[in-house]
Amino acid sequence: MHELSIASAVVDRVLEFLDAQDAKKLLTVRLAIGELSHVEADQLRFCYTAITQETAMEDSTLEIECVAAVVECPRCSYRGSPKYWEDALCAAPIPTLECPQCRGAVEPVEGNDCAIKTIQFVRD
Amino acid sequence: MIQTIEASPDEIYDIELEHSLLEANARLAKENRSLLDRHGVAAIDVMGAIGSGKTTLIGRLVERLRDRFGVAVLNGDATTSTDADLIAGQNVPVVQIATINGCHLDANLVGKALRKIDLTQLKLIFIENIGNLICPAEFPLGSKARLVVVSVTEGQYMVRKHPHMFLGADLVVINKVDLATAMEVSVDDLIADVHKLKPDIEVVPTSCKNGLGLEELTKSLLAM
Repeated sequence: MHELSIASAVVDRVLEFLDAQDAKKLLTVRLAIGELSHVEADQLRFCYTAITQETAMEDSTLEIECVAAVVECPRCSYRGSPKYWEDALCAAPIPTLECPQCRGAVEPVEGNDCAIKTIQFVRD
Repeated sequence: MIQTIEASPDEIYDIELEHSLLEANARLAKENRSLLDRHGVAAIDVMGAIGSGKTTLIGRLVERLRDRFGVAVLNGDATTSTDADLIAGQNVPVVQIATINGCHLDANLVGKALRKIDLTQLKLIFIENIGNLICPAEFPLGSKARLVVVSVTEGQYMVRKHPHMFLGADLVVINKVDLATAMEVSVDDLIADVHKLKPDIEVVPTSCKNGLGLEELTKSLLAM
């Protein structure tokens, strides 16, 4: 349940910002969650709703945008989407670090992070 | 003539915040790493599910290494000190990190624990993470390498059920292989699953019961 840690980090940063701006109410916060990060959107929403109660963020909208993974291969210089493990019997295909071109090991270059992109607020 | 418009109190403001939520932990992890590097100490973050055999494996590795150079162990445990007590029996410095039901260690807690031990006497620190194959992956601690332990007693699909953990690993151990036949689990298939996710990673099958793979694992860790 590390989503609670992530939700707390959102709330800490946004409340700090609202306070500095002397703003009373948050309307929307937009997050960008990388495909290779380990954050589950529904659990994050649940935690967010719970811990924003009775704060300037109560009843605000949490928008979550998924950032697609991009990998790079040091061997054959491939850059693009990762190879997916399609038949792993999982709910969704699993991104892997195998190069789709030369089958070597790739490095993830995008889709690892989890960040607050924008917020929308009113002062009063 | 200058015209001015002012925002009314109910004006809606859109602000780009661009704030990474993982950055605070990542920054502390870097600080931990610099502290360790300054003292010439390597830390190994040992991750795996509850019951995968992390504590016993660390215990076996400590037995092999403690007479060669200074070794210490940080034991993450949500509630009990049973793991820390077990390792402390080997007369090496041990710090228990009680997360009080937290599901992963973070760089802040590890930083506090590192300040409790005399790093000048050490070369290697094992950090036993909380038994959990999901949450710790997101929180680097400043270790030199991340070791993931799965055991055959967890079944055939443990790797593909927790892919993210393996994508961030530097070394993987398939533990309790002495029980593979009884469990009807194929060690080769588990290794193949790891390599499907990360083709170049080293996977070492081990048994703490009969000692299989422990020498190879020790060599691999020391080479990291």
